[in-house]
Amino acid sequence: MFRKTHPLQSRSEIVLRDIVVIAMVIFFTVFLIVPIGIAFVGSFHEWNPLSGTYNFLGLENYKEVFTSALFGKSMINTVIFSVVVIIFRVGLGLGIACAINSALIKCKSLYRAIYYMPVVTPMVAVAFVWKFMYNPQIGTINQIFGLDVNWLMNPKTALLAVMIMTIWKDFGYAVVMFMAGLLSLPADAMEAAKVDGASSWQTFRYVTLPLLKPMTLFVVITSIISYIQAYVQILIMTEGGPGTATYLASYIIYDEAFVKYNFGYASALSFVLFVITAVFTWLSFRVSGKQD
Amino acid sequence: MKKKMFAAMMAAVLAVTGLTGCGSSASEQKAQDQAQADVPTEPFGDAVKYDPSVAINDGKDITVELWEWGSDDLFQKVIDGYTAIHPNVTIKLVNNPWEDYWTKLPLALDGEKGPAIFNVHNSYHENLINYMAPLDIPLEDLQADFTGVDAHVIDGNVYYIDYGMMTGSVYYNKAMWEAAGLTENDIPKTWDEFREVAKKLTIKDGDKLVQAGLNFNDDFHQNYLLGLNYQMGENLFKEDGKTPNIDSDAMKKTMQMLVDMYEVDGVGSKDFGEKGADSFGQGQSAMVIQWGHYYNTLKTTWSNIDFGVFEIPTFDGNPYAYNRYNGESTFGVNKNAPADQQAVAQDFVKYFLANDEAQVEFNLAMSTFPAKKSLASNEKILENPSLKVLAEHIDHYIWPGPMPSTVETSLKKAGQDVFFNGVDIDSAFAEAQANIEKDMKNSSFVSVENLYAYAE
Repeated sequence: MFRKTHPLQSRSEIVLRDIVVIAMVIFFTVFLIVPIGIAFVGSFHEWNPLSGTYNFLGLENYKEVFTSALFGKSMINTVIFSVVVIIFRVGLGLGIACAINSALIKCKSLYRAIYYMPVVTPMVAVAFVWKFMYNPQIGTINQIFGLDVNWLMNPKTALLAVMIMTIWKDFGYAVVMFMAGLLSLPADAMEAAKVDGASSWQTFRYVTLPLLKPMTLFVVITSIISYIQAYVQILIMTEGGPGTATYLASYIIYDEAFVKYNFGYASALSFVLFVITAVFTWLSFRVSGKQD
Repeated sequence: MKKKMFAAMMAAVLAVTGLTGCGSSASEQKAQDQAQADVPTEPFGDAVKYDPSVAINDGKDITVELWEWGSDDLFQKVIDGYTAIHPNVTIKLVNNPWEDYWTKLPLALDGEKGPAIFNVHNSYHENLINYMAPLDIPLEDLQADFTGVDAHVIDGNVYYIDYGMMTGSVYYNKAMWEAAGLTENDIPKTWDEFREVAKKLTIKDGDKLVQAGLNFNDDFHQNYLLGLNYQMGENLFKEDGKTPNIDSDAMKKTMQMLVDMYEVDGVGSKDFGEKGADSFGQGQSAMVIQWGHYYNTLKTTWSNIDFGVFEIPTFDGNPYAYNRYNGESTFGVNKNAPADQQAVAQDFVKYFLANDEAQVEFNLAMSTFPAKKSLASNEKILENPSLKVLAEHIDHYIWPGPMPSTVETSLKKAGQDVFFNGVDIDSAFAEAQANIEKDMKNSSFVSVENLYAYAE
């Protein structure tokens, strides 16, 4: 199937390569390309797989997406949620990574492990614990701060409360990523800055930060993709409430598909969200490219 | 000496073990004999009769599956009773948790190896009905024995019926009731009386609520909004049976009463006790309105709470209907199963319907009032306080049919908008009406409220 292109490649290497590539192609075709295709076709139908309903609707589902006030509201929520969480994730991640990377700090691996622990804890478990912490009667947050706030049922605080939990859970990922970036910075650039008499801030601002740009871009883009798909914390902590105050775009998809079994409309929502995610990712690359 | 002691002890142990073994064998034999003696040989039942002398599958061995989502012991007992009559039949009980059940079951029924018998919940009616075979029991027999059969008739056929009816009643904490100086004579009959009792049961420390007289957080939509409309003579669906009647005077009046209870009477708070049912169980709230299943929840999860039950109050003592009910459904028969398995399934359903003992046990386990008319005054049923309070007016409860979930979820959102988001009642219910209409535009649901015995 694949022609031998390098004289040093052995026959067994080529066979192994072919097997791995074919396996991956089959895997992605069966579990990704085909389901996406089915969902795309389904987005033009009234589709309930449990009752066997499958009627062609044309663009009706897409029209409904773009005229839905709830989808508009959930997109605004998603943008607010994503922007705030990403800013804090990157900011905290970078700040703490720099602090841990400092020569003054010992036991770097320990700190890295501690900050990474929430990342590897399942979101479901974390969301349940935080929901308990936000309880207006017995929650630790009200008790510690002496407050009387129904965090998850107040429209002014509900989304904020979910964002705080998400930031706490996720910023450790950025810490680890930025630490990896900091450790791979070229030592000669740092030394040159030192020789030129740059202050710590100047070194960070004009040397470290630009050199970390690829890593920052990576963290931002993976965060965008991740947060546009966020729904588990909403499902557990607020169920989109109070009312529809904390609906995120992905939560509507869950609600339509797995509560109302309206798979056609849910598929249309998914494709719109897919396009939006792609546009945001492309924009991030463009913005980053122009700055270069 | 030590050896002798050891030998003596071993002999004693062996003797005791032997005796115990004999005891076990004897008791097992006795149980088997008892079971054998309990195996009916004569036909039993009311209009729906079961004749145990009729061989199944010509006496040849056959195995079928029964799928359900919980209460294994309950199902197993019925299976054991049936297989004692028909030893050639093996019924394999398969438990799938509720969360998986509704995904796995339709897929299994769509294939050739699905279960011949499966437990049904009417909220999933639309997803199951296309896989179900009509019951092989004369309609008039079912109608003669059971309440609410007409609501399940589709083109002259019945695919499942209700064995029990579940609805809401008021649960109150007896200790709090007594501490407030209330007696049995204070059990309220009207909502005005109920609100006064709730005030007496409320304890505050300054402005801070310490004990809620009433808590309906998280379930007000199920236990008040979807039911009290009937007390005021309004159905949940308009005359065509398809258009929701949510943006209605009755619905708004109920919502206003809920708001007033918290904000005017101060008997509870939207921020006190996240879920009414839990708050009552945790001893924070004195009264809740809950459906029948709550009786068993209290008995098992919060067994330290000493509680009483009374019937839901009414506005004027003479309601069109007291409340909404929902049926606990009988088993479904898989129309795609092989013919011999379907025959067993049909026979098993008939056995279940004719078997009063099984009917009573299922109803007690689910805290549902028996749909079987002959069991309305059954002693065991009336010993359960949550069922006893329903006995007098059970015919004055309405089942709207297997409503799509959007009715409940949209009303919950509307209520939350009013309580938490500052939306006025008119706007919230207008939006809920629009949302439900949108979600139901392709639904095949048709209300059966017109089949209510006292329909006007």
